[in-house]
Amino acid sequence: MEDNKSDLFLVHSMKRLTFFVVVIIIFSMVVAVKIYMLMVTGAGEYGEMAILVQERERSIKARRGIIYDRNGVCLASNKPVCSISVIHNQITEPERVIEVLSSRLDMDEAEIRKRVEKVSSREKIKSNVDKEIADEIRELNLDGVMVDDDYKRYYPYSTLASKIIGFTGADNQGIVGIEVQYDDVLAGTDGSINTLTDARGIEIKNKAKTRVEPIPGNNLVLTIDANIQTYIEAKAMEILHKKSAKRVCIIVMNPQNGEIYGLTDVPEYDLNNPFELNVELPEGITDKEKQDMLNQMWRCFPISDTYEPGSAFKIVTATAALEEGVVKEDDGFYCPGYRVVEDRRIRCHKVSGHGPETFKEGIMNSCNPVFMDVGLRLGKDNFYKHLKALGLFEKTGVDLPGEATSIFHKQENVKTVDMAVMSFGQSFQITPLQLMRAASAVVNGGRLITPHFGLYVTDQNNNIIDRLEYEETDGAISGETSEKMKYLLDAVVSEGTGGKAYVEGFDIGGKTATSEKLPRGNGKYIASFLGFAPSDNPQVMVLVLIDEPEGAYYGGTIAAPVAGEVFKNILPYMGIQKHSVEDNDNDTEEAWVDTVF
Amino acid sequence: MSSEVAEKNMQRKNRTLNNSFWVRGGYFDYQTLFIMIVIVLFGIMMVYSSSSYRAVMSGEASSYFAKRQAMFAALGIVAMIIVSHVNYRYYKKFSVILMYMAIALSGLVFIIGTASHGATRWIPIGPIHFQPSEVAKPILIIYMAHACVSKSSLLNSIKGIIQMVILPGICVVLIGKENLSTAIVCFAIIIIIMFVASPKIVNLVILGLVGVTVAAIAIFAVGYRGDRIDAWLHPETSENGFQTMQSLYAIGSGGLFGRGLGESIQKMGFLPESHNDMIFSVICEELGLFGAIAVIALFVMLLLRFRYIANNAPDSFGGLLCTGVITHIAIQFIINVGVVTNTIPNTGVTLPFISYGGTSLVFLLIEVGIVLGVSRQMRPVE
Repeated sequence: MEDNKSDLFLVHSMKRLTFFVVVIIIFSMVVAVKIYMLMVTGAGEYGEMAILVQERERSIKARRGIIYDRNGVCLASNKPVCSISVIHNQITEPERVIEVLSSRLDMDEAEIRKRVEKVSSREKIKSNVDKEIADEIRELNLDGVMVDDDYKRYYPYSTLASKIIGFTGADNQGIVGIEVQYDDVLAGTDGSINTLTDARGIEIKNKAKTRVEPIPGNNLVLTIDANIQTYIEAKAMEILHKKSAKRVCIIVMNPQNGEIYGLTDVPEYDLNNPFELNVELPEGITDKEKQDMLNQMWRCFPISDTYEPGSAFKIVTATAALEEGVVKEDDGFYCPGYRVVEDRRIRCHKVSGHGPETFKEGIMNSCNPVFMDVGLRLGKDNFYKHLKALGLFEKTGVDLPGEATSIFHKQENVKTVDMAVMSFGQSFQITPLQLMRAASAVVNGGRLITPHFGLYVTDQNNNIIDRLEYEETDGAISGETSEKMKYLLDAVVSEGTGGKAYVEGFDIGGKTATSEKLPRGNGKYIASFLGFAPSDNPQVMVLVLIDEPEGAYYGGTIAAPVAGEVFKNILPYMGIQKHSVEDNDNDTEEAWVDTVF
Repeated sequence: MSSEVAEKNMQRKNRTLNNSFWVRGGYFDYQTLFIMIVIVLFGIMMVYSSSSYRAVMSGEASSYFAKRQAMFAALGIVAMIIVSHVNYRYYKKFSVILMYMAIALSGLVFIIGTASHGATRWIPIGPIHFQPSEVAKPILIIYMAHACVSKSSLLNSIKGIIQMVILPGICVVLIGKENLSTAIVCFAIIIIIMFVASPKIVNLVILGLVGVTVAAIAIFAVGYRGDRIDAWLHPETSENGFQTMQSLYAIGSGGLFGRGLGESIQKMGFLPESHNDMIFSVICEELGLFGAIAVIALFVMLLLRFRYIANNAPDSFGGLLCTGVITHIAIQFIINVGVVTNTIPNTGVTLPFISYGGTSLVFLLIEVGIVLGVSRQMRPVE
């Protein structure tokens, strides 16, 4: 080497180098402090944000609450099923997965292919798969195919109370009926398994999972009595066939508190297969038409539809008239078979006329001219005042979705002819349930109740955790009028048009009705009967409604006997006693005395 | 100058220098060797931990990257030992020719280079992709150290300084065209060697300021680089803040002791370049504050050791060689941990010895070999 003198690393160089190294060390310390801040003091912030990015949540289905009738009979329960989904990135044999799933699940191959090939963290293939089929798929151990346990709603009595209970959808959410009305009670809270995943959403093996247990839904006890419901459904089906009617509705309610013991609107449908029509599927039907038919099938007529109540509404007119004091039981009327109101001649159902009759007899005969006279005496203002008091301008508040409400003329537009016609239940529309609610107030001493189905909410061990309460308003009518009405309506059954509803040994009150459906003159009728028993202290009210019967269509002829049979069967079942032997003796004695003298 | 220092200098001056090309025996700095082995082995371990997910995802064995890194580490350690036996003063003979070679290679990248991540930085040699900018760094160190010793008078004027940095300047510009971050490191090497060598500081300060200004304009003003500032200040909201946020998530999840070795979640596809520029985040997440501080401490120990060797180097050239190596390692280290912790704006610089990268590891170890070569001839004066 040419230059082998030792030129020393100069002192200033040493100082400079030291300076540089010190600067680096200081900066290292700054970074160390920054790391300390990020990791320890600020760890909450970034660490939690990191978890949000890294964690995936998988839900665990909560068991849906069970629906019971008032005696603990299970009306809606759950059966274990599975849901099947695929995770795109974990699939190793896509063709096999597609083939297996389409054959086992009986699904379109193209549809499954689309989901298998979709790049997503998790794609659902099918829910509500039978456990046996799901277990078969599970045993094949296909990579990327997930089989998760789930529950499917199951209705042990399939068609029983279908229009009330309703059904649930694929994710066990309520869709119609009680299932949707009480969805938040029944649904429970889904649990979850939180797992750490990589950036593509795939679970990282062997990492701690946090598990939040699902909270099962609460159970619901209904006011429905499965025995009464079964009986009225069978009875309604019998009439439906006998009269070739479009539909038959029977409602059984407690007029004291609004508890509905049974409500049927036949034909009912199978809750376990709610998407199958209960009638023959017409050919060449479009999807939309089929959907409309399904909606019709699910519809609960007595709640969601309105009709002209006809003569049954005379209960309301009579009540209003008695309340206003415009008529007395013994007031005399004359029925020539029609009444001319202004320029119109309005017929009575008895063309030859009832002749001279008292108000009581007018009710018993269901005489239209009598009620036209009474209605005109009453006047529209008083009439509307009492309609309002009897809750006829508002929904009943029943705990089912889709309730309809009444359609009345505007009060200021009501002309004399309208008033006359309305007094016997025509030219307006109410729901059957609104009629029952008003009639309940008339016979229970003036308390406006809320018809309802929900009785209690119970927990897993059937301990009552919530007694469902409903609005009741007193003073819709006076107690005096109520007593009078019970007496008059009892006469309708014991001596008048409602005679076919009579059941030996019981006092039954009621009112027949025959409503001609619109448009007039098409020959379509709704025959109905509204009855209650015992008439002095009503414990049960029954409404029978036969829509478009063939042949005889008078309410008193075809609906009243049905109500009679219902009373005959359910009154003893409900523990309502027949007249005591003593009463019976008295009756016979009187009769005997009558005969003697 | 105190009499004590004068006496030390007298002692050092009186030494005769070894003239042979191959230096046998002599002092060997086992402390450096020990720290190096610890860092390199730790690096392989962390490369394995941070890259196994990516390796498996791209269809390789989980140890794919770690094995390659280990292979390069073995090659590098052998190269380091060999280089440590070379008499460092012989580098002077080749400094200029090496400089031209570095310029040629840096230019060659544009002709036959392969692209990755949108930048052309690699030259393929068989199965290995070779990164010329990594070779340029030791050459720059040798060239600058030699220039500052043999033409030390140039350091006295701005004109002289400019004259001195023409060749390395060309090289840095060529590198900077494709890889700004490496160019910054090279630039720092040049400046710091002159800073340490120059008896006068004023000229260097002026040049340094000019350089920093140019670099700052280059970083802040030009196109996408401006976005990096926004990403630095507001990583949560900036659309370019993704990488920074992922890094902060990783560090934030670490806590005092970390998730445990191999337990990082962020490496599972969340953190880009997890085995490369962002490996320090994985270290933080898995080993926590203690692991991070330990790594920083290892680097500080290494730098202090190198400073000791530099200060006891037999001649100025040796001392400046050490200075260059210290600068290279220190600047890359600081920039890397600074970026990962979002202390400075994001720029892609690897963590020396630890980040995945064969060329970088081998040439860094060769640089350590150079320092060890200097240490063989030092006579520690205690």
